[in-house]
Amino acid sequence: MSPAQLPSRGDYFKQWRGGGKVCAVFPAQYPKELLWAHGVLPMEVWDPPLAPARAQGHLQPYICSVVRQGLELLLAGGMDEVGAILFPHTCDSLQNLASLVADYLEPPAPSLFFYNPKAPFAAAAKGFYVSQLQALEEDLTLIFGPAPEGAMEQALEWSRRLSELYAQAYARRAAGELGVGAEEFYRLLRAGEYLHPRDYIPLLEAWLNEAPAQGGPKGQGIIISGVLPSPPDLMETLDGLDFRVVHDDLISMSRRLLYPPPGQGDPLEALAESFLAMPPCSTRGSSLSERLEWLKGLAQSGGAQGVVFSVVKFCEPELFDLPELRRGLKEAGLPSLVLEVDVNQEVGGQAATRLEAFGEMLS
Amino acid sequence: MSLSAKARMQFMKDLGFPAMLSLAKATKGKRKPRKANPDFGPPLRCATRLKEIMTRHYYLSRFAPGARPVAWVTSGAPVELLRAFDFYTIYPENHGALCGAQKMGPELCAAAEDEGYSPDLCSYARVDLGHFFSGKTPAGKLPKPDILFCSNNICQTVVYWYKVLAHRLGIPLLMFDTPFNYGEITEANIAYMKDQILEMIPVLEKASGKAFDMERFLRLAELSKSASQLWGQCLETMQARPAPMTIFDAFVHLAPVVSLRGLPVARNYYEILLAELTDRVERGIGAITNEKKRLMWDNIAVWYKVRDFSELFAARGMNFVAATYTNAWAETIQHLDMSHPWESLAKTYSLVILNNNLEHRLGLMEKMVREYAVDGLVVHSARSCKPYSLGQYDLKRLLSQRLGIPAVVIEADITDYRFFSEEQALTRLEAFFESLEAA
Ligand code: SF4
Ligand code: SF4
Repeated sequence: MSPAQLPSRGDYFKQWRGGGKVCAVFPAQYPKELLWAHGVLPMEVWDPPLAPARAQGHLQPYICSVVRQGLELLLAGGMDEVGAILFPHTCDSLQNLASLVADYLEPPAPSLFFYNPKAPFAAAAKGFYVSQLQALEEDLTLIFGPAPEGAMEQALEWSRRLSELYAQAYARRAAGELGVGAEEFYRLLRAGEYLHPRDYIPLLEAWLNEAPAQGGPKGQGIIISGVLPSPPDLMETLDGLDFRVVHDDLISMSRRLLYPPPGQGDPLEALAESFLAMPPCSTRGSSLSERLEWLKGLAQSGGAQGVVFSVVKFCEPELFDLPELRRGLKEAGLPSLVLEVDVNQEVGGQAATRLEAFGEMLS
Repeated sequence: MSLSAKARMQFMKDLGFPAMLSLAKATKGKRKPRKANPDFGPPLRCATRLKEIMTRHYYLSRFAPGARPVAWVTSGAPVELLRAFDFYTIYPENHGALCGAQKMGPELCAAAEDEGYSPDLCSYARVDLGHFFSGKTPAGKLPKPDILFCSNNICQTVVYWYKVLAHRLGIPLLMFDTPFNYGEITEANIAYMKDQILEMIPVLEKASGKAFDMERFLRLAELSKSASQLWGQCLETMQARPAPMTIFDAFVHLAPVVSLRGLPVARNYYEILLAELTDRVERGIGAITNEKKRLMWDNIAVWYKVRDFSELFAARGMNFVAATYTNAWAETIQHLDMSHPWESLAKTYSLVILNNNLEHRLGLMEKMVREYAVDGLVVHSARSCKPYSLGQYDLKRLLSQRLGIPAVVIEADITDYRFFSEEQALTRLEAFFESLEAA
């Protein structure tokens, strides 16, 4: 199994449409298991490769490119065939985008909302999260029909298996036993944004079985932190400069993929526990000390020498945490570099030069 | 808390501040009064009292550490809880507005940027962090907090901002998480907020060293409620024609309901302000001398331009009579019900404009346009404030379409005037004036 064999988003969507239901999902954390249980394919919308045109008329220039690209996809007709659009509560911009779409823009499908409680979590957060799951469950039933008997248990099984596979992929990479570069690693992991677990789990298993133990980049070990592994040429640049990405702290990746698998009790309670125990994230309101300890731990486990922050321009949750994280990392002997990116806009030569200089500094 | 610190604070309250005030008045008496602008009616007499109240608040805050527990609080947090534990409260957003009005925004923002904070972040936060790093403030000196109290009912930004303060100062952050109302508020949301309030009580007891007293809390909540209601009535006087004050006045007279809510001084202040405004209405005294057109403002003030804008509009006989921003501290207070204090406190704070969907905002603005007989709308697209600004282009479009009133968007910022192009704003406003005059 090689990344080249992965079906493209467009092809997979067309093929799925015939037999199923689709829900477009905006970033970041949401209970995908509920959607699977209802036979719904979540199609996550992070960075669709479109030239921003229509979205400009609705958004000020100081709104991030993730929101802009997502709205562009919707306005360009990219969500015309979905059964629903789900907006998890992630940040102020996505909060208002959800309301803008639902209240002012006559979307092609009903809007669903999901409020993720924010840290520091009150004792009441778990019960509240369960109430949110119940409300979403009701909405999904209305739109897509009830989940068949046993479907929730099956969804949780998929979730547990995926959690194991992600953990395996990250652990092997950190131990230097996964001989692939950042570009391939993230291409495989990002396929989970649109493939159904029935198809995705065997693909991931095959990839992990077949991926060589050796042969990846050999240079300086780094962690990448930020929102998502995009723009794509950033990953290629890192590989080209022979950086070993030993771990990541990306919102779209480890901060939600390395979730503690849901336990065996009541499914909704299990999902709530899983959510509350996820790695720290700016969008969940995690404290800076928690985030700092987490980053230091990641660096230690993979032997990283530095951290590259790839921050989406205008992303408040990430930008606010940055100075204190950098200060704490520096005190721990971990230098860092900040790249401000727009998703889908190539990082270009200047970023490559800065990365090169950063690599030299680490050596 | 130390006895000597308490005694010092009491002394400053009873003797030090009044002496300082008399001295200031004596000096002021010798200054030449500013020449009156013929476009404006007589200034509000209350303005002097307001200045005294706010100066006293900031002045006494210096003596609070050691005498009273100190909290830094966000403008939308349920401060009534803190009042019950006798916290001295400082509102960094109000301080940000003060710095903005004194044109200190860029200098303080730059101090935060020097520490790595991006110029793309909310400038209230950058001003506050800049003050934190540099110690500079027009308020003399702000006391360091013992705790931080924050609610995300206005934005998530305050959570990120207060997290930085909590980390730097090594003090507790109390967060009141208010789920965004995409539609109607739900019972589950209310229950979640109520549980959080109940969880906070023991934490506040520990931080303040005081036991919670329900009766005292209810009394203070009642004071808070009456201050907000009186503020709402003050705003309603602007339905009169001519309106007895402008929104630019209201931006300033808003300070007590934001910063001193729940204290007798705020309630007393709005009683006298309301009496003065009512009297002006009865006597037909307008804030501007020739009120031809009535406008509504959307979003926070452009603090460094308040005077310039008020003169620009007044010169054309245009008066701002309503604003979603000033309305925010009055619009939900009717929910506060002492027979169900926790649920109603949750509703009061959850239903504020910025924690509500855009359909709600559109409805509210339509209602205000009708009630205040508004002829035109000025939308401030504030680079700092994503929850207030994202959606405004469509809001403006829909409101103009539905009500047939002219509207304009000006791109600016609340305090950081490095992001304001006067030329571009004036060009847009000129076109707006033309369409308004033609209407
Ligand atoms: S990039 Fe940041 S600001 Fe933009 S949607 Fe994601 S979390 Fe929100
Ligand atoms: S200006 Fe907006 S983003 Fe900044 S603190 Fe106020 S509500 Fe939050």
